This record gives sequence, C-alpha cells and structure tokens, in this order.
Amino acid sequence: MSNFLADPREPREPAVATAVFRIARSRPGSPDPAWREYEVPLKGHTVVLDALEWIRSRVDNTLLYRHSCHHGSCGTCGMVINGEHALSCTTNVMDLLEKSREAGGPPTVVVEPLPTMNLIADLAVDPAPLFRDFPAGAGYLRESEFNRGSEVPREIERFVRFENCIECGLCVAACPVVRIRDFMAPAALAAYNREIGKNPDRAAELLGEVDSDRGVWGCDRHLECSRVCPTGVYPAKHIVELQRRIKKSREA
Amino acid sequence: MKSSHGHVLVIGGGGTGAAIIHDLLLQGFSATLVERGELTSGTTGRHHGQLHSGARYAAGDREIARECIQEVEILRRIAPESLEMNYGLFLALTPEDLAFAPDFLDACREATIPVREIPLDQAFRMEPNVNRQARMAVLVPDGTIDAWRLPLQFFATARAGGAAIRTFTEVMEIESAAGSVTGVRVREQATGREYRIAADMVVSAAGAWAGTVAQRAGIHIPVTPAPGTMVAVKKRLNNMVISHLHPAGDGDIIVPQRGLSIVGSTQWLAEDPDSIEVPSAQIEYLVRRASEMIPAFRETPFHAAWAACRPLAGASSNVEDGRKLSRDFIAIDHGRSDNLKGFISVIGGKATVLRAMGEKTVDLVCEHFGVRRECTTAVTPLLPHRAYYNTVPAGRSA
Ligand SMILES: Cc1cc2nc3c(=O)[nH]c(=O)nc-3n(C[C@H](O)[C@H](O)[C@H](O)COP(=O)(O)OP(=O)(O)OC[C@H]3O[C@@H](n4cnc5c(N)ncnc54)[C@H](O)[C@@H]3O)c2cc1C
Ligand code: FES
Repeated sequence: MSNFLADPREPREPAVATAVFRIARSRPGSPDPAWREYEVPLKGHTVVLDALEWIRSRVDNTLLYRHSCHHGSCGTCGMVINGEHALSCTTNVMDLLEKSREAGGPPTVVVEPLPTMNLIADLAVDPAPLFRDFPAGAGYLRESEFNRGSEVPREIERFVRFENCIECGLCVAACPVVRIRDFMAPAALAAYNREIGKNPDRAAELLGEVDSDRGVWGCDRHLECSRVCPTGVYPAKHIVELQRRIKKSREA
Repeated sequence: MKSSHGHVLVIGGGGTGAAIIHDLLLQGFSATLVERGELTSGTTGRHHGQLHSGARYAAGDREIARECIQEVEILRRIAPESLEMNYGLFLALTPEDLAFAPDFLDACREATIPVREIPLDQAFRMEPNVNRQARMAVLVPDGTIDAWRLPLQFFATARAGGAAIRTFTEVMEIESAAGSVTGVRVREQATGREYRIAADMVVSAAGAWAGTVAQRAGIHIPVTPAPGTMVAVKKRLNNMVISHLHPAGDGDIIVPQRGLSIVGSTQWLAEDPDSIEVPSAQIEYLVRRASEMIPAFRETPFHAAWAACRPLAGASSNVEDGRKLSRDFIAIDHGRSDNLKGFISVIGGKATVLRAMGEKTVDLVCEHFGVRRECTTAVTPLLPHRAYYNTVPAGRSA
C-alpha cells in the first residue's frame, strides 16, 4: 500500500499544456480594466482558480481574487470566464481550451470580475449587494434527500444537509433585470421560497415581503439565473413558485 | 458597554483569528483583524470539513479527543446552522482493524466520547453504500462543518460588536520600540497604500504562514507547510462521516457535505504554502482508498481536488519554550522567548476546536494586560453567517 508519508517531499510533475490567461486588472478609482496576459502551465485537473494561484505565487503577487474552499461550496470565487458566469474553482481549464478550439477560437482564457457586486480590485468583489434582500432569520440547513429510506441513528431526528445555494452571486450577476432596475434578485427570492417551504407558518409574513415590483413581479423570465447556477438551485423555479403562492393566497 | 482594556491586532482571518477576535470583543477589548486575502482564504476554507468527535484521535491522544467532543457539544449550541450534525460510522474492514477495535473503543470512552457499536445490518441500513465486507461498525458523534460559514458566524458576531475586520490587507512589518510592540505596518492590497495600525498587542494567527509573519518582526520560528489533498465526487454517497477504523492513515475519512462526498487526506512537505499544486497521483490514490470504504466512490463523477496546508512547527528554542495550550496547539510568547513584549504567535489546532483556541489565546492576552478573565464564548450564540454582510456594524471604529 502506498503511503505519501513514506516520501514526504513535494511532488513535481510536468505540465501537459499551457494556456494564455487574459485577465481584467483594475484598481479603485480607475474602473476601466487594463488587460494583462499570463502564460500558465497546466495539468489535466488544473482549474481556473489553480491558474490564478499559480500566477499570484510565481509571477505577479498583486493579482487579487476571492477564494476559500476550492470545491464549489463557499461561493466566494465567482467570475466571468470566457463570457460565462462561473465558479473559478470548478472550471477546468483543459475543458475551456477544448471548447474554444471547437468554436475555432484561440487557446485563451479571459477572466473578468462578477458585475453587479462592489468591485474591490481585479477579480475581487465585495458581495454585500447579494445579501441585501435575503429573508431575515432564514436557516441554512434542510433535510437530506440522499439515500432516501436510510435508517437514522436514534441520537438525531433526521439526516440534514446544507442548502444547495452557496450564495456565490452568479445568478445575480447574470440576471439582465438586476442591471436595469431595482430588483431583489434571484438568490434572495429563491431563499424566500426555500424558507417558506421549510417553515410554512412564516408564509404570510414572507410572501408580503416579496409581493412587489422589486420582488417576484420584477422577474422578466430570462432564466439566466437557472442556467448559470452551479449547484442546481434553479432560482427561476422558486420565483414562479412564489408568484403562485401569492396568487393562491389572494384567492383564499 | 465595557470600556476597552486596550487595542489588540490579530493577524490572519482563518478560523483561529475568527474565534480570537470574537472572544476579544466579548471580553471588552477593542480589536482589529487583518487578513491579506478574503477571509478563510488560507487553510481554514479548504479543510476537509469534518466536525471531529475526537474518535479519530482518541487512541493517540485522549486530551485532544476530549477537547474535540467538548467543542462539538458547544458548537452545536452556538452555531447549529453551520453544522450537518449527522454522526459518523467507523468501519473495521480487516482482521487487523478488528484487533485494534477494543483499544479504539476504550480510548474513546476514556476521552468521554459517546461511542456505540451497532449491528452490521443496522449500519448497512444507515449507510446503504458502504462496503458489505465491513466486520464491525461504531457510531460516533462526528459531523460536517461548513468551512466558510462557521468562521463567518464568528466574524459576523465580532463585527456587530464593533470589531474592525480588514480583508485584502497584508501585514508587512510588526513594529516595536524599546522591546515592546507598538503596532503593524500594513499594505492595502487594492491600492498598494501602506499605513500603520497602532496596537497594544499583536497576535499572529497566520497558520502555515506563521513563520513568514514572525520574520516580519525579525523573529525566526521554524514552520514547515505540510499540505494534504482532498477529492470530492459529485454525489452524496454517505449520510454520515465514514471513517476507516484503524490507527490513522491517509485517505481514511469520507466526509459528506451538501450533495458531495469528500475523501481525505494525505500529507507531504512543501516549501511555500502559496504554491501548492495537487499531485495527480494523489487523486487516484485517494479515490482508491475511498472505494475501500464506499465501493461506488470510484464510479461517481469527479468534482474537485484541492490541497490545504498544516503548519508543522519544527525545533527551535522559542517553540520549545512555547506554551502548549493543548497537545497540538502552541502559543509562543515572544516577550519571553525573543525579547519582544506584546507579540504572540499561535500555531496548530483544528477547525473543530477553533473556539477553544480562541479562548486559550485570549487567556494569554488577558494575562498580558492583567485583565480579569471571564470567557463567555461557550454560551454565546453566534449571529447567522449572512449577518457578516447584511448587518450594519455597531460602533465601528474607522
Ligand atoms: C488537509 C487538511 C485537512 C483538515 N481537515 C480538518 C477537518 O476535517 N476538521 C478539522 O477540524 N480540522 C481540519 N484541518 C485543520 C484546520 O484546517 C486548521 O487547523 C485550521 O483551519 C487552521 O486555521 P488557522 O486560522 O490557524 O490558519 P489559516 O486558516 O491558514 O489562517 C491563517 C491566515 O493568515 C493569513 N495571513 C498569512 N500571512 C498574513 C499576513 N502577512 N498578513 C495578513 N494575513 C496573513 C492567511 O491568508 C490565512 O488566511 C485540516 C487541515 C488540513 C491541512
Ligand atoms: S472557492 Fe469556494 S466555491 Fe469556489
């Protein structure tokens, strides 16, 4: 059985390819980005975040971006990558190159910060706008639906798990409505519907908070939110469900 | 509001820094925390996410195990929404594992961990995907931590209480006069602007970067970054944390989280914690190890592979002098060991015991200032993680 403790040295392995990263660099006070290019060596499993770490630690330590979990759970690393709103930690670079090759494009990865958040510098944003309209008192746990029918240990009531929404803001940044008018935006509205689903006794109170033009009626059904969501929340579905709940409560 | 006993500057926005600044605020200090990147962008955000009952450590070290179980109970009270508290199963797979089991159970009981051997058929009903060749199953109070949101709850609470938290701000130098710390010089990363923050005391909670930070006070601490790899697959195969019942080794824990199952970890030695790359061979190795416990792991689509760095403290006089606040957590009072009063470095520990690390560190801070200590973090519920972003901080100092 191999054991990595047996050979504790830092493993080295050759690159299988290289990619050119074209990154929007900006500083406070000068909103127009200066584009900088970096050539980055790749392994098969290199993701965009790995490439940014490589650039920052070996070429240019002034490059700023947010990151934490490196596996699509914290939601801090959203960016616009080759025009798509995506998590940099789960976007594989070889896959991106393959896609651009198929489209007849250059082997380049273009990276920009998430729009609609408050820009700090380069790719780093302050996500405060995302959280502005989340329902107060909404929890973050739900019953787990995996391995349904599993026996639960007597020490706990049920198997639980964190909500799907990792609060990455991709849906908010991709929503065409957010860019043109005041809107509570998909992430917060989805959280409202989840909370009502878990706590039906809060329905009247919470529906009242989203029954407005900046709430559920602000949605123009572009469905961009559901398309870009990296964790299968489908915010648009939740917005439609909220609209239905409101209509039903009016009839009652 | 209590009057401030002094201004403490904390370096490092990982779990340790989070728990320290929260405790400082409750204790009546004024405090500033600086983190060179986003919060938890060091080791904390990337850890395996296991809320350790202590069972994994009990055979090796009862004290560490006892602290784990105590902290599990505390976190369940003060931060329940950042934990998937589903318990864990240890599975014995080989005759050697079975031979080790009595020691394992004794050690857990001595460490006050409530362990319970359960019949195998019941274990398979709880975890339909585990290896049916398992020979014994033990239930323990393990769980899953949201590595980002648990610390964020500490930061949110500290911030609402008036703490200043400055991200993308790197400490460049720890300044002193006549053998006492006077503050730090920091660089605001976005602008490149450098400025001073005056402080009566500086606490470095910089994890694998503790050596680099100490150097910025002209002090040498030998810290070697020891990265470990984790691999996640795109399906939650297990309800509970699944561990291999054997003396600890590589790749012997599978932590479920949201819709994922995550195996970890390994350990090797690196030079620079900022340039760690995941070795391909370790991905294959971990998948193989995981499949011994959950055979379907191998067929489940790959989701992500990443690495996080432990700080291994080497041998040196200040580390030797350092007070072992617990078996794997040391605090070095540089006033005693390096003639720089008001500067301490804390290194080690675990995400599970972050609150306890905060408590022990603030004990030392109180000792330094001669302040009567009343730690209340074990009984103070934390604000929800979102409060970090959507609460207007009270009495925030500019
Ligand atoms: C592979 C692995 C798996 C693990 N799994 C688990 C687990 O499942 N459960 C568990 O309980 N524990 C686990 N741990 C342990 C746990 O992750 C750590 O104990 C904990 O995260 C350490 O937190 P910290 O705050 O001390 O360090 P860090 O999180 O590393 O924080 C230090 C911070 O200091 C910042 N910094 C550095 N230099 C400067 C500077 N000059 N100025 C400003 N800021 C600076 C860094 O950016 C960093 O954010 C694991 C550890 C590893 C390595
Ligand atoms: S770093 Fe956490 S989601 Fe990407």
